[in-house]
Amino acid sequence: MGVKPMLHLRPVPIRARGLLLILFAVSLVAYSCAADTPTPEERAQSLDRLLMCPVCPAETIDQSQADLAVQMRSLVREKLQSGESEEEILDFFVDRYGKSVLSQPPSTGFNLVVWVVPPIALVGGLALVWLAARQLGQKRQPHSQKETPEGRPDLEPYLKQIDEEFLAFERARNGPERGGEPGLQGGKG
Amino acid sequence: MSELGTLSLLFALVLAVYSGVGSALGARKGLLELTTSARYATYLIPLPLGIAVLALVGAFVSRDFQIEYVAKNSSLAMAKGYAWVAFYAGNEGSILFLTVVLSIVAAIAIALAPRLSRASLAYTTAVLMSVLAFFLFILVLLANPFETSAVAPADGRGMNPLLTHPGMFIHPPMLMTGLITVTVPFAFAMGALLAGRTGDDWVDTGRTWALISWGILGTGLLLGGWWAYTILGWGGFWAWDPVENAGLMPWLVLTAFIHSIMVQKRRGMFRVWNIALINVAFTSALLGMFINRGGPTPSVHSFAQSILGWVFLAFMAVTALFSFGLMVHRMPALKNSQSLESKLSRETAFLVNNVLFLAMAFVIIWGQLFPILSDMVTGVSITVGEPFYNRVNGPLLLAVIFLMGIGPMVPWRHASLAQLRKALLLPIIVALGLDVTLLALGVTKVFPLMAFGLCAMVGTGILREWTRGTRARHRKGESYPLAFGKLVAANRPRYGGYVVHLAVVMMALAIIGTYFFDTQRDVVLQPGEQVTVGGYQITYIDAQQIQHPDHLQSVATIVVERDGKSLGTYSPWQDFYPSFSLRPARAAIRSTPIEDLYIIPNDFFQDGSVGFRILINPLVMWMWIAGPVLVLGTVIALWPQRKRALIREAIPQVLRPTYAPAVE
Repeated sequence: MGVKPMLHLRPVPIRARGLLLILFAVSLVAYSCAADTPTPEERAQSLDRLLMCPVCPAETIDQSQADLAVQMRSLVREKLQSGESEEEILDFFVDRYGKSVLSQPPSTGFNLVVWVVPPIALVGGLALVWLAARQLGQKRQPHSQKETPEGRPDLEPYLKQIDEEFLAFERARNGPERGGEPGLQGGKG
Repeated sequence: MSELGTLSLLFALVLAVYSGVGSALGARKGLLELTTSARYATYLIPLPLGIAVLALVGAFVSRDFQIEYVAKNSSLAMAKGYAWVAFYAGNEGSILFLTVVLSIVAAIAIALAPRLSRASLAYTTAVLMSVLAFFLFILVLLANPFETSAVAPADGRGMNPLLTHPGMFIHPPMLMTGLITVTVPFAFAMGALLAGRTGDDWVDTGRTWALISWGILGTGLLLGGWWAYTILGWGGFWAWDPVENAGLMPWLVLTAFIHSIMVQKRRGMFRVWNIALINVAFTSALLGMFINRGGPTPSVHSFAQSILGWVFLAFMAVTALFSFGLMVHRMPALKNSQSLESKLSRETAFLVNNVLFLAMAFVIIWGQLFPILSDMVTGVSITVGEPFYNRVNGPLLLAVIFLMGIGPMVPWRHASLAQLRKALLLPIIVALGLDVTLLALGVTKVFPLMAFGLCAMVGTGILREWTRGTRARHRKGESYPLAFGKLVAANRPRYGGYVVHLAVVMMALAIIGTYFFDTQRDVVLQPGEQVTVGGYQITYIDAQQIQHPDHLQSVATIVVERDGKSLGTYSPWQDFYPSFSLRPARAAIRSTPIEDLYIIPNDFFQDGSVGFRILINPLVMWMWIAGPVLVLGTVIALWPQRKRALIREAIPQVLRPTYAPAVE
């Protein structure tokens, strides 16, 4: 740790690097927020992906080639061209076919639950890991403590006896010259 | 034929029940003759089941439409080679397939069980045979593929035309084999618990079989993606369809398991947790099979609705109760042999990995079940589709890649921040360098920039580990190739894992590329007309219609050029099967590592014009390259260590020095 030249040389570049990193991240976010307005066709396609084809199992109108899906696609484009907003178009199809026409649940009312539960589960899981790590860390045992592979020192003599009898039995079955089955070479000699 | 098949199934059932009961009883009462005889019975079971398979495939080849299953899933027009595909194209046949595979892997697993897991082998056998007997009961009572009808129809209904694709010869078998093989590690874990061997005896065998199952399932999923990409005609490879999800869910849980089992292997920790994970993996595999057989949500390729699904569900509930009950019962004995020394350690990294993968699996099951829940609460049915999964699991995938870059650099036991900084400096610099380059090239979306950066970080980290290790060995006088080979051979789980990580990076590239940067155009072209999409000039020449016995095939001929240079002539086609009212298509795909040009004809009009969907899918080829890399990595990780290494493994952990690979 206390090597002098290191202490003398390192800090400045690292700090500069950190600064650069922050600057870079900020400019990156700023730059990317400024860019990208979708073309009309791109808007239409992202709407296609939000609408299920009502007559096909589990396909959006973007994926399906059913006649109804084709009609709905052209309807989406017509409505976009006449200046309707994304929300209005989605509402139109919901009025017509019911809420199940949307390929993702709306984030209102009870359906908010579908969006909220996964993040809660993730945070809960990470919290559990944190708690488990703390608990596992607390019952630190001295390394000298002898442990059998089974974690039950009191059972060891019995387990050993079982293993020996098991081996003896296998050996008796297979005859001494064959030395047992694969995985039992331990019984040889 | 049908009598032979049914008799074979009955014979297999009797053997499985005998072996299951014999093993359990023999182990309980200490009757070694009985357990041995029961074990030999398990070796026999694949025989009658193999005969049953031959009988069924034979019935397809000889077009024995007296058998209902054959009549339902084939026709005279079907090419005879597809008899193999038709065999598992329906419910009954696919259950027979699952059963045969289970009987074979069970026999292999039992025969090759290493000495350590021998003490509990009788119980393991009993568990395996119980599952096998369940499948055989279903085959005999509820879904006998050899059921005959009174009058044989002149022709069958034919196989689902979506299945007439070369991918179908291996994709469903791989998927089903992967799903059913999860039974083996589960059975070893349960067997150990039943026998009271609560230590680490089952860990090596459990890990091996979990990895085998994971690798096969992963390959099956990738092949499924390839099939969807070439035949479904919307240009994507993954749609979060219930059936795809059914395979992905257990795969994600297994991914968590094969990581956390390493902690038990090396440090004797997480004993309860690993049991819980393998229980969840097996339960979710059963759930996957349940969803495939008439589950709760609609899907493009689920089998017919039937009572079978609910039988599976009941079996799943019983298994879950049994396995978790047993775990809780043995809990007092499942103590960790060592404690966690630091929160910044490989052990904790694996725990976080587990949380992320379980979260992704949870999102899937949550998305499947929520429509039912919503229907019950609000009375309005809703859809939980692609956008939901992408928006929720996308960020989780990002977190996984991030962890993949850091986790392997964190030493076991405890790490210092200084070590981490040293290990991560170069990968982070490379990642930022890539992002700057991409920005300069005009990529401005935040999520992809983060994702590409993280991919670069993971890749650099892995390559640096390889070059360092190889150089260190080279300095000791080994040639570079030899040094690299020996490096990998010395710690196969670790370096195999790195290869798999590279495969995951490749998959991530393909996912980001297609999700964020795809271009899609729907156009209608007259013969001779040209359209330019993404720098490609696409000229539609003409169309032809070919009448096949069971379907009408419409083929479009197109010429693709770029910058005045011809890239060749392509003939994508669309079929129409009137008896199924299905239109499977085959896209024209020009693949390069940078991007795919993907053209699919959707509409053939009377006047000779054709409606095409043209897509540019960037980086999608890496998805398919990832497949063989994934398999390679899995095989390396699986390859048995030599004796010397095994002995080293057996040296008590406490005697070994702290393992800190990232630091010299």
